[in-house]
Amino acid sequence: MDQASTKKPSAVLSPQRPLTVEKARAGERIAASRHSTQLVYSYVAFSAFWLVVGTLAGQYLGLKFVWPEIDSLSWLSFGRLRPVHTNVVFWGFASLGMIALALYVVPRTSRRELYSYKLGWVSLWLMNGSVVLGTLLLMAGINNGGQEYREFIWPAMGLFALGLMVSAYNLYKTIARRDVREIYISNWYILAAFLWTIVLAAIAYLPGYQDDGISQTVVQGYYMHQGVGMWFTPMVLGLTYYFLPKLLNKPIYSYSLGVLAFWTQMLFYTMIGAHHFVFSPIPWWLQTVAIVFSVGMLVPVTAGTGNFLLTMRGSWGTIARSYSLPFILTGVIFYALVSYQGTLEAFRSLNKIWHFTNFTVAHSHLSMYGFVSFLIWGGVYGLIPRLTGKEPPQFSVGVHFWLALVGLLLYGVALMIGGTMQGLSWIAGEAFIESVNLMIPYWVWRAIGGTMMFMSHLIFAYNVWKMRPDRLKETEAYNI
Amino acid sequence: MKLDFHQNHKLLYGTIFTGFVILSLIIAVFPAMWVQERNEPLPDSRALTELEQKGLNVYVSEGCMYCHTQQVRPIDMDAVWGRPSAPGDYARIGRQDVWRQTPAVLGSARTGPDLSNVGNRQPSEVWHYMHLFNPRSVVGESVMPSYPWLFEVKDDAGPDDTVITIPGDYAPKQGTVVATEKAEALVAYLLSLKQVKLESGETADAR
Repeated sequence: MDQASTKKPSAVLSPQRPLTVEKARAGERIAASRHSTQLVYSYVAFSAFWLVVGTLAGQYLGLKFVWPEIDSLSWLSFGRLRPVHTNVVFWGFASLGMIALALYVVPRTSRRELYSYKLGWVSLWLMNGSVVLGTLLLMAGINNGGQEYREFIWPAMGLFALGLMVSAYNLYKTIARRDVREIYISNWYILAAFLWTIVLAAIAYLPGYQDDGISQTVVQGYYMHQGVGMWFTPMVLGLTYYFLPKLLNKPIYSYSLGVLAFWTQMLFYTMIGAHHFVFSPIPWWLQTVAIVFSVGMLVPVTAGTGNFLLTMRGSWGTIARSYSLPFILTGVIFYALVSYQGTLEAFRSLNKIWHFTNFTVAHSHLSMYGFVSFLIWGGVYGLIPRLTGKEPPQFSVGVHFWLALVGLLLYGVALMIGGTMQGLSWIAGEAFIESVNLMIPYWVWRAIGGTMMFMSHLIFAYNVWKMRPDRLKETEAYNI
Repeated sequence: MKLDFHQNHKLLYGTIFTGFVILSLIIAVFPAMWVQERNEPLPDSRALTELEQKGLNVYVSEGCMYCHTQQVRPIDMDAVWGRPSAPGDYARIGRQDVWRQTPAVLGSARTGPDLSNVGNRQPSEVWHYMHLFNPRSVVGESVMPSYPWLFEVKDDAGPDDTVITIPGDYAPKQGTVVATEKAEALVAYLLSLKQVKLESGETADAR
């Protein structure tokens, strides 16, 4: 390679234009207790495990669109595996990843040790138990009425909710005993997410007011929207309010903008669930309220992304030299794009074209993946090496980043175009099967993008393994 | 104690918690109660039979609602699926059992056709059996999964068996295809999906 390039310098790759640039190393190691490191790392490790499991299912589901006869086993059929994919990446991967980071950020910004490490472990096992049990039941064909993201029947989801309560108590106690006067904005978002999600799970599963098909739909709209908007969104935003300024080594641009975004998030986001059922037989006024507040979401989204981007301003060099900050920058950009896209989808005129189509699938992946997952990865790569003193290979972090980003763009663009074509085909009054036939090339592109995303997760799991703490190895050896 | 969100954690998290509970009651719980109280089955409709109810449980268990809606919107493009759905169309659906809540039959994606009125549009039992055993045996371009586990392949079908004739390429090499009780229930449910008349003057909107 070196010899070849001296003979004939390549316009693309040469010693002056290398394929990769060395990034800044993690620098100083954080003095954290062994308990803290082990707990946080264990959450991250399980998160990576569930990411691989959940997206293996997703990847396989994507193939079924172009190859419906790939298997004929009931446990692997589309209708059973689809909720496995969504629930495993929600409650396994993303939730555990976010809680891992929160278990570090909350004590750190409160200048206290975590209230109880034991409760931290209890919560981890409750949540893992929930995902294992829920997944097996789903594959056996036992689900909670096919209600999206609440497919786990209550005994399985109950374990998760219990884990949430244990963690919420643990974090609340840590904040209550803080050694600083002010509660840092990250902790507003993080603990609020726990409290909101506990309320949400209770409302979603209690009987009595959602027993016919219409009341069920009213609660479903509320639930499926808040599941994303009051759990994943505030959690990753709260974490970013810590990691972004920390990794850039400068304060957040505006504290009060963060506070404004917080209260408007709570007020507006809660009201918009019914926009998932525009034109449905649920009360028309409920749909209109949802559409109006969907426009209101422009406030917290613009305040939030503006705040992050203005914090980044002037530090682009630092971001380019870091291997964790590019994930955070990507996540912030997707947060804005996908939220504006969501507002557009709520308008009745556009909803007509996009509702029920694959456009929705693109939207949910751009948000849960481009926004939530990238921010989690940014936090993991920003924190874990400093905690364990072990850095992941920079090359493989780069491969993770680019495979995930390019894969997501292929996936998202293909389904956005395909979804729009589906909607237009229905409006044109073509035979229904036309809307299936026209999707085939887009489903192929989705499978290609999905494969790249899945490969990036294997690399992420490898990187997590490379970042494992030494002490973990010692304890293992000791246990044997 | 200072009434300051930034310094008083009880005030901050108390407000966050109760604020969200109140908003949730306003936007979800009360509206749900309100519609549930007022929702009445349409006069021409009937309750599902025991077999059809079993069929709905199979429909849920296999996740049919991930690709099929049962929701006709009051817009031109949906006219092909029937009249606009009304709240009364869903008044008879309820919890499956103590473990499982009311199924989300309205659906959120139309990868396959809407099924609100499939019993009228496709009333043939035989077609549904063939379609469930292998969708491509009746719709060549379909991407729907096959459901062979809802059927049995028997060497000698008994007199009470529902024998399904499957065209050459899709048939098993040996034996005859017989519907299980689950397939019979599911087909009975699908055939029960027939839109009934709205009372005159009643609109598709919620009352």
